[in-house]
Amino acid sequence: MIDCDVHNAWASSRELHPYLDPYHRDAVERGELPGGRDSFPHAHRPWLHPEGFERADAVPPSGGTPGSDYGFMCEQLLDRYDIEYAILTGDEAIEISTLANPYLASALARAVNDWTVERWLSLGDDRLRASVVVAPQDPQGAAAEIRRLAGHPGFVQVLVSSGSTRPYGDPFYGPIWDAATEAGLPFAVHLGGQGGLNAHPVGCGPPTFFWELHALLMETGMGHVASTIAHGVFERWPGARLVLIECGVAWLPALLWRLDADYKALRKETPWLTRLPSEYAREHIRLSTQPLEDPPEREHLYAALEAIDGEHTLLFATDYPHWDFDNPELIHLPHAWRERVMSENARELYGLPRRTPVPTGTLS
Amino acid sequence: MRVCALAELPDGERRLVEVDGRTIGVFNVEGELYALHDRCPHRGGSLCHGRLTGTTEAAPGVTPIGYVRPGRVLRCAWHGWEFDIATGRSLVDPRIRARTYPVEVVDGEVQLVLDVRRDEAQADQPPGLGNLAPWR
Repeated sequence: MIDCDVHNAWASSRELHPYLDPYHRDAVERGELPGGRDSFPHAHRPWLHPEGFERADAVPPSGGTPGSDYGFMCEQLLDRYDIEYAILTGDEAIEISTLANPYLASALARAVNDWTVERWLSLGDDRLRASVVVAPQDPQGAAAEIRRLAGHPGFVQVLVSSGSTRPYGDPFYGPIWDAATEAGLPFAVHLGGQGGLNAHPVGCGPPTFFWELHALLMETGMGHVASTIAHGVFERWPGARLVLIECGVAWLPALLWRLDADYKALRKETPWLTRLPSEYAREHIRLSTQPLEDPPEREHLYAALEAIDGEHTLLFATDYPHWDFDNPELIHLPHAWRERVMSENARELYGLPRRTPVPTGTLS
Repeated sequence: MRVCALAELPDGERRLVEVDGRTIGVFNVEGELYALHDRCPHRGGSLCHGRLTGTTEAAPGVTPIGYVRPGRVLRCAWHGWEFDIATGRSLVDPRIRARTYPVEVVDGEVQLVLDVRRDEAQADQPPGLGNLAPWR
């Protein structure tokens, strides 16, 4: 199987210092860090998980941060579930979108990506692929960063947080779509970055409790789907792919039904579109499954997923090592979809060749 | 089945043992011993690696939340579902239950009681969990 959302972590953000330019290194080494000296700079979201984000059994034997120990990740995930590829999405890195200063945000993005190359992609484990993290509030800096790393075969997508100052179809992000599609990299949006600069209120105001917020993880995903379609991202860049990671899935059909209906009535606002919103979505948008909605009647979920051709548009993900991890051995999806959702959709999206299995224990 | 000497399982500690391909967690909670299958009825997560803590109930006052049952609620290490350490029952729906085993102390030794008939009785899936059938 191909796991499309694995959170590799640093044990301390000090690991990034060697990859920072001198000016920003000073800022991070000596400057204010609300979380303390080992923490990563970001403007925190207003909701705090009352038990912590990580699975309680994912702390490595050496101690330290879940997801920071490659050997333990092999034991708990890569080897345990016989994973063909794991798409690494980092952990806190996408929170750079919350910072007001775009130069700092982009400097951190560069450091994160260099850390990823040196600490993960250079391990010699061909199962690992990674994401080019960029600062969406700095489109020019983000485009330059994508171009810098476009040639590295270990990176399979561009990655930003779902929290943003504007939804991702806005022309403000044009340079990022340019660079991503030029490089042949999908534009992936992962749940997160909902705070700081991105504290734009939802029409009814923010939720209060963490579980209330978590159930609403679709909100930002909805905004980006509607925006990229309406602004004609998929007309202007026919090769573009939008990937939503950890934004849920069962809400998408209802949104597409409404987008189609409203577009049919008010098409005049967006004359650059030549197809229905749902048609753009079917071709250009992919969603990771985790956390998969879990209704009492499984058939209700299947009906919703059939409405979005889930067999071809869903990407299996565990979200290891987070608390809302989806167990690949107990994932409730139509049996006939298994090969496509667990592997082939990701293989096509990311251009992953079939791997000849390597016996475990052969990597030094 | 012998787990260990009682002296090796002091108050507040737990031990995990393998029995017939299952992992069972044995807990000492203020001198009382409890054992549960290390498999959460939700999604098969590691129940016995989870935090043993308290929980909350509605309470009067400006903050309407009271902390109760300290140390007697086991949270699954994965999604955090809460189970009573003694009965294995979920706090949200008592029909959902982690499998429990009796524990005895005989001559200073902690003994797990593995009763075949009880195991079979608990083997039926609790109602309300229709989605545990594996993908395969």
